[in-house]
Amino acid sequence: MTGLLDRAARLGSVGTVNSEPVPAPSGAAEPDDAEVGRRFAAGDEQALALAYERWAGQLHGMAVRAFGPGPDAEDVTQQTFISAWTGRARYRPEQGPLPAWLVGVCRHKIADAWARRDRMRREAEAAVSEAQATPAGGTTPPVDSVVTDRMLVLEELERLGQPQRGIIELAFFADLTHAQISERTGIPLGTVKSHIRRTLERLRTRLEVDGAALPA
Amino acid sequence: MPHCQPEQLALAALHEPLPADDAAHLGSCAECRAEVAGLQRAVGAVAVPEFAEPGPPVAPPASVWAGIAAATGVQAAPGAHAHAAPAAEAPSAPVGATAPVDAGGQVLPLRRSRRPVLLIAAAAVTGAVVGAGAVALVQGDESLEPLTTVALEPLDGEPASGRAEVVVRPDGSRALEVDLDAPAVEDAYYEVWLIEPGIVEMVPLGVLRPGTQTLELPTGLDLAAYPIVDVSVEPLDGDPAHSGVSVARGQLES
Ligand SMILES: [Zn+2]
Repeated sequence: MTGLLDRAARLGSVGTVNSEPVPAPSGAAEPDDAEVGRRFAAGDEQALALAYERWAGQLHGMAVRAFGPGPDAEDVTQQTFISAWTGRARYRPEQGPLPAWLVGVCRHKIADAWARRDRMRREAEAAVSEAQATPAGGTTPPVDSVVTDRMLVLEELERLGQPQRGIIELAFFADLTHAQISERTGIPLGTVKSHIRRTLERLRTRLEVDGAALPA
Repeated sequence: MPHCQPEQLALAALHEPLPADDAAHLGSCAECRAEVAGLQRAVGAVAVPEFAEPGPPVAPPASVWAGIAAATGVQAAPGAHAHAAPAAEAPSAPVGATAPVDAGGQVLPLRRSRRPVLLIAAAAVTGAVVGAGAVALVQGDESLEPLTTVALEPLDGEPASGRAEVVVRPDGSRALEVDLDAPAVEDAYYEVWLIEPGIVEMVPLGVLRPGTQTLELPTGLDLAAYPIVDVSVEPLDGDPAHSGVSVARGQLES
């Protein structure tokens, strides 16, 4: 019986839309994105549901672009929200909109998944070379240094304040030139350039200290 | 000639074109090139297409929220705000939490919020009257001959299969005749959906029993826009959204 009631409710909804094709304006009680961000940071559970409702599609789109549709992408999307929620103390609403921050978390989760794959690949290769007992060199295959670098850079980006983080993210991920970034943000050209320089230096230092040594 | 400004080298590391004199110097100065290469290591690590700003959205399946709710213990559910209508008693349990997502079957991406689905449906309704797909489909208006027949193939080895036919009655109304060969399910029921190729928007057609039955097609619905005939298993949980568990599917040709 529940099923039939469900069906009636559904057909009723479609009928309502049918007779009223103009979408009704969303209710005044609907919080705007900034409000959702503030409530999210404050630990309001409803804000997590709202954030999911508004941005899960975008984030899942990113995950699917990286891994194709299926369990890997779904895991990335799921982990993004779980991690964002448990780590919400790191989100500061005054530093930028919540969806942008969620996208950053999603990049981390994609990089995590790549690192796991790299580890599995090395384990598999090590098993093979052990089995074959290759005379040339039976050592464990090296960590893919790009995989490690990627994690370190994303981590370091999280530590950047604004506007440095926004500027470098526009350069890295939106593929904007410094002139376009200046135009987009209203920050003077010279300031944009010096922030870019200092941020790239900071990232280089981080990689030199914590990253894999590169072949000379 | 002096070395390039540090800022210019940073821009070079980001692959921005440099002014001609800087570019010429860079071409002849190993020291500046080494500086660019050093700065470029971080750029190369993250400047990958996978990290680019989000592109087109893809709705995750219900199981994704179920996992989030389970891991965080959050009781709120997405879509509750979209259900301000009287009929929709907002469920207190997370949406989809009880869906038998582990019971096998194909988990398909679903939009969590019902509202966008309805808006798209409205667009389809208003556009379909003159839509090419609709015109093509309604040509055989005078008979009960099926306009199109589609085999419903089992998904992931599910024991469900069948056939669906779009028929047009003399008064122009359309219906979907479905012949479903599947076992009875306990505490659940089968439901038929028409889904658009992106598997995001969908129109529920109703509850289905194993055997043959006829389901009304909404007037004006553009079948060319919703060509996938999907049979799902829905738990008796009061959640009107697709459970994410599909057992058989076919695609209408128009
Ligand atoms: Zn030089």
